[in-house]
Amino acid sequence: MSKSLPVLLIALVVVLILGSASLFTVSQTEQVLVTQFGEPIRVIETPGLHAKIPFIQTVISFDRRLLDVDIASEEVILGDQRRLIVDSFARFRITNPLRYYQAVGATEAGIRARLSSVVSSSLRRVLGNETLLNVLSAERGRIMGLIRDQVNSEMGGFGVAVDDVRIRRADLPEENTQAILSRMQSERQRIAAQARAEGAEVSARIRADAERDRTVLLADARASADKLRGEGEAQASRTYATAASVDPQFFITWRTLQAYKTVFDTGRSRLVLSPDEGFLNLLKQAPTVGGSP
Amino acid sequence: MPWTTNGGPHSGPLAFPNNPWGNPPPPGNGGGPRTPPPGGEGRGPGNGGRGPGGGWPPGGGGQQGPDLDALIAAAQAWLRKLLPPAGGSGGGLGGGFGGGSSGGGRFGALFNGGNGRLLGLGALALVALWLATGIYRVQPDELGVVLRFGAFTRATPPGLNYHLPWPIEQVALPAVTRINRTDVGYRSDQFVPGTGASLDPKTREMPAESLMLTGDENIIDINFAVFWKIRDVGDFLFNTRNPTLTVKSAAESVMREVIGSTPIQPALTEARARIETGVLARTQAILDQYKAGVEITQVQLQRVDPPAAVIDSFRDVQRANTDADRLRNEAESYRNDIIPRARGEAARLVAEAEGARQAAIAEATGQAQRFNSVLTAYQAAKDVTLKRLYIESMEDLLSHNPATVVDPSLRGILPLLPTGPVPVAAVSPDAQQPPPMAPPPPPQPSLRSIPR
Repeated sequence: MSKSLPVLLIALVVVLILGSASLFTVSQTEQVLVTQFGEPIRVIETPGLHAKIPFIQTVISFDRRLLDVDIASEEVILGDQRRLIVDSFARFRITNPLRYYQAVGATEAGIRARLSSVVSSSLRRVLGNETLLNVLSAERGRIMGLIRDQVNSEMGGFGVAVDDVRIRRADLPEENTQAILSRMQSERQRIAAQARAEGAEVSARIRADAERDRTVLLADARASADKLRGEGEAQASRTYATAASVDPQFFITWRTLQAYKTVFDTGRSRLVLSPDEGFLNLLKQAPTVGGSP
Repeated sequence: MPWTTNGGPHSGPLAFPNNPWGNPPPPGNGGGPRTPPPGGEGRGPGNGGRGPGGGWPPGGGGQQGPDLDALIAAAQAWLRKLLPPAGGSGGGLGGGFGGGSSGGGRFGALFNGGNGRLLGLGALALVALWLATGIYRVQPDELGVVLRFGAFTRATPPGLNYHLPWPIEQVALPAVTRINRTDVGYRSDQFVPGTGASLDPKTREMPAESLMLTGDENIIDINFAVFWKIRDVGDFLFNTRNPTLTVKSAAESVMREVIGSTPIQPALTEARARIETGVLARTQAILDQYKAGVEITQVQLQRVDPPAAVIDSFRDVQRANTDADRLRNEAESYRNDIIPRARGEAARLVAEAEGARQAAIAEATGQAQRFNSVLTAYQAAKDVTLKRLYIESMEDLLSHNPATVVDPSLRGILPLLPTGPVPVAAVSPDAQQPPPMAPPPPPQPSLRSIPR
């Protein structure tokens, strides 16, 4: 037992070394390229445990997932000479590890640099024929599809498939932004001034209408009032005339005496009278029997 | 399943059911008097995961289930073989975990045996520890995704589960029922998961993300949150490298696309719901195209404002609208004030006139009747009545007014009349009235004509 132990341990170590050199796992998210002295032998896309010839074959793994690459924002001149700062991203996956490896090597940095420049140039090419309105409108989807197709055809030899190129941000440069902001401001000022003026207009209109209505109401009322008064006076005149028509002379006398009473009712009039005639004649001349004053 | 688990148990050169320890499974029980339950606490829930209710294709996990059992049985047998028959009553691994009642025998063997025995037991303990690392717990909001040598093998529901220890199997525990939140345009530092909103969001603005161009070339400041959950674990884990970032990038891009075709005024006001649904649908379409395994549950516009530099102007527009409303209201209240008053005034004028009309008629009628009565009396005795009326009138008249009776035959008195402060009242029936108080007498026409 004690003799066999070192042998057992050595055997174990050898097995471990051999095992680790000959067995490898392919993750669900990976695909691998097996090379023999640098020469590609096969591509394994099946996840799980796999074997290779130890020390002779080496394994290079590539991601099988959808990968993202951000393209740095850059200024693009549009078809209508407007400038736009475009920030985009692409989604791609490695479809052919062998070709990918031959084109840019095992690392992702190579493909990212290549993809960035291809997307960037395609972006400039496509956007150079489009107006800002198109980029802002529903045309954007078509533009992005166009860029994606161009990028895909250019990247065909790299063993990758570009699933999507999307414009994330499309902003105007800083100086244009300032111009837009001041335009927005003046536009709002215009709208505010208009709203206030229209408010004043409505207010003046309502007030004027109200005052007109009031004037008309009062004038109508005065007209009917005058008509009523006239009717009253007319009827009164008729009544007086009817009554007076029996003896107009007496009516005048009677009415005059009544008027005297009203006129001299104040007690403020000094009367200078002569005793020669009328009421005061008895002051001067004593009445005689049967005589008239 | 869009992704393949074609790494079947028999596909690899060293795949199962070959025992990874290199020993073929023994045909029968290796000599132990009893067969302890092989890792019972781990297998029960595991069976549940392979059941039809697991929501996973039966081809993946179900196929490999028996292999796993066989594997574990083989491991048990192999362990039992390592132990001598003398200590066999203690059982294998299961017995050790189960707190074997006959442990004394094993400890005896430990002390009686040599170095090899001690090493063997040490190795056994290490192996036991190693196997124990495969116990894992799946939280209620999670799903256990077991990968064997990197390949998806099975999914396990919440509860206590067991997977073969590293490096054979590994488990990923994505939170499948949790609603995740991705903020665009701002960062909320505090967020309570699952509730959908934080009470006190310490927001930090991200102007680069939140400022965007509208369809009418204005700039708008939009913060929004995307709520999403995992729809397909396999797609989510294995199909995109950075699903969270992908959700954010797609949502941001779509939001800018949607805003880019919306004028600023509707975007600020009534088009919010339309923007939310539009962004949700299009983002979902993009993520479906990516096969990201993500379901967008909600897109929530948090803050939609004009840029900070011009927000005062926008507020001034609102103020202007309020001002206009105020002016209108004031004018209407003025109208409501004067029109009823005018109506009242009109009614008053008409009523007064009506009163005057009736009064005139009534007075005329009364006067006429009075005249008629007097006329009747006059016609009965014309001369006397006329004189009486005259005398009564004069009596009334002269009794109320100061009067001066001047005899025209008396010369010399007239020039004194206007200068004298004391009136030359010969006949003054109103004697109580003090003469100095009376105004200077104006020249009065004398009542000369007396009606006859």
